[in-house]
Amino acid sequence: ESHTQYERVGADVTMKCGSMDWDAAVTWTANGTDIDESHLNGSYLVLKNVDLSQSGQYSCYEGSSWHLKYQTNLRVGMPPKEPVLMCRSNNYPKGFYCSWHLPTPTYIPNSFNISVIHGTKDMVCEKDAVPKNRCHIRYLQLFSTVKYKVTLTVTNPLGKNFTTLTFDEFAIVKPDPPESVVAKPVPNNPRRLEVSWQNPSSWPDPESFPLKFFLRYRPLILDQWQHVELSDGTSHTITDAYAGKEYIIQVAAKDNDIGTWSDWSVAVHATPWTEEPKHLTTEAQITETTSASTSSFMAPPTTKICDKGAVVGSGAMAVCWTAGLVMAAYSVLFI
Amino acid sequence: MAAAESPSAALRRRDLCSRGIRLAGKMRADVVDLLDAYVEQQGLDASASVAAVEGVPLAAVERWDEQTGTQRLLENLAAYRAFRALLAQMLEEQREQLGEADAGLGRALAAVLLQVSAFAYHLEELLRLESRGVPGEEGDEEEEEEDGPPPPPRLSLFEQKLRGLGVLRELAQWAVRSVRDLRQLAKPSPATGAAPGLAESP
Repeated sequence: ESHTQYERVGADVTMKCGSMDWDAAVTWTANGTDIDESHLNGSYLVLKNVDLSQSGQYSCYEGSSWHLKYQTNLRVGMPPKEPVLMCRSNNYPKGFYCSWHLPTPTYIPNSFNISVIHGTKDMVCEKDAVPKNRCHIRYLQLFSTVKYKVTLTVTNPLGKNFTTLTFDEFAIVKPDPPESVVAKPVPNNPRRLEVSWQNPSSWPDPESFPLKFFLRYRPLILDQWQHVELSDGTSHTITDAYAGKEYIIQVAAKDNDIGTWSDWSVAVHATPWTEEPKHLTTEAQITETTSASTSSFMAPPTTKICDKGAVVGSGAMAVCWTAGLVMAAYSVLFI
Repeated sequence: MAAAESPSAALRRRDLCSRGIRLAGKMRADVVDLLDAYVEQQGLDASASVAAVEGVPLAAVERWDEQTGTQRLLENLAAYRAFRALLAQMLEEQREQLGEADAGLGRALAAVLLQVSAFAYHLEELLRLESRGVPGEEGDEEEEEEDGPPPPPRLSLFEQKLRGLGVLRELAQWAVRSVRDLRQLAKPSPATGAAPGLAESP
C-alpha cells in the first residue's frame, strides 16, 4: 500500500503502518534509513513540526520478517498564497496574454485555472506550451467599453487561493520594446549621433496601428537623461551630444493612441565622430582610468573623463579638475 | 464603383483621411478632458459601470479588420449623427440645471458637440468622394408608424447623469475607432469599398 501524503510545514504528522495494530512490532525507514524508535508511538510514526527536509519516502516493515507493510511519499509544503497575475496586450489588436506566478513557493505541485469574462461572455484563455504559466486570448471585439474580468485560481493539496484583475481593452496595451537599436556617429559631425530602430516584431500591424517612440540618451559620465518624443519614423539624429563622449541610448514605444509605454530597449553605446589626432596628448593616453578629454583634445572614443571612482594619484586628480573646468567652459559656449 | 481610383481622387481621399485623423484625435483628447470634468462636477464615480444606454451607438465591433471602407464610413457617420443629437440633448439638460459651477461644463459640451458635427460633415465628404450617396438622417426616411414612437420617459437627474457618462465614454471609444478606421481607409488600395454598391439603408 503506497500513496502520497501532503502536509503543511510545521504540522505534526502521524503515520500508521497500514493496517498493522498499534502494538505491532515494526520498523520505519525514511529514504531507506532506519528511523529512531524515539519517533514511534507504538507502531505509529510521529513527526512533530515537520519541515521541508523531511519530505521523502517513508516505509514501514513488519517486525523481524521485514515485509513491507506500508509506504508513503511524504511531501511537506504550503498552501498557495494569493497569486500574482498580469495581463497585457503586446500584439494589439490581435489579443492579449495573461501570465502569473506565486509570490512564494509551495514546494508541492500546484494547478492553475484561469477564467476570462467579457461582460456576460465567457472566453477561453488558451494556455501556452512555453512558458507554462501563461495563456493568450484573441479579441473577438474591438473598441469595447465593457471591461474584462480575469480570475486566476491556484490549487494544491493543502489549499487554494485566487486573484482577480479587471481592465478595459485599451488599458493593457503595452508594446514590446523597439528592436535592433543602432547608434552611429555621423562623419565630420562631432556633436551628432544617428539612432535607428525597428518596430517590435510582436506588433502585428504598425501601418494601421502606428507606434510612437521615446528616445533617451545621456553621456556615460552624467546621470541625467535627455528625452525626445517622436511621433513617427524609426530614426532620429541627436544633435547636441558632447563631443568625444560615450553615450548610452535607449528607445521605448507606445501605440499612438492608447495604452502605456513599453519597457526601455536594450541600451546601445556610441561616441560622436572625432577628428583624427593631429598631435598626441600624453596624459590622455596614460591609462584607461584617467583622462583629460575635452572637445579640443583628440581623445580616443573609449576615453572617459573623470570618474568618481578613478583614483590614480594626485597628478590624475589635477588633470580631472582641469578637465572639469574646460568642460564647464565648453558647456557655457554651447548653451 | 471604379476598380481603380484616379490619382487626384486618391490624393483627395488621403488628404481627407489625414485631416479626419487629426480631427478625431483632437476630439478624443477633448472628450477625455470633458469626461474627467463631467465625472467630477456631476459627483459620479469614474469607475462606475454604466449599462448600455438606449440610443447610444456602441463602438464595439467584431471582425473590425474585415470591414470594407464603405462600411466603416457608414457606421462612423451613423454614430456621429447619433452623438450629435445626444450631446445636444445633454446640453439642453445641462442648461436646465445650469448653475455657476456648470457653466464651464456647458461650454466644454458645446465645444465637443461642434467637433462632432464637424466630424460628421467630414465623413459625409469622404462618402461623397467614394461616390457613395450620403444617407439621409434617421427620421427623414423612416415611415411614421400610425401612432408614432412613444416619447422616452423623462429620466431622473441621476439617470441623466449616468446616461451622460455612458454617452461620453462611448464617444471617446468612437474617436479612437474613427482614427483607426480612417487609417485603414487611407491605405492605398485598388478598391476601398469592396461591398457591391451602397448597402440598403437599414
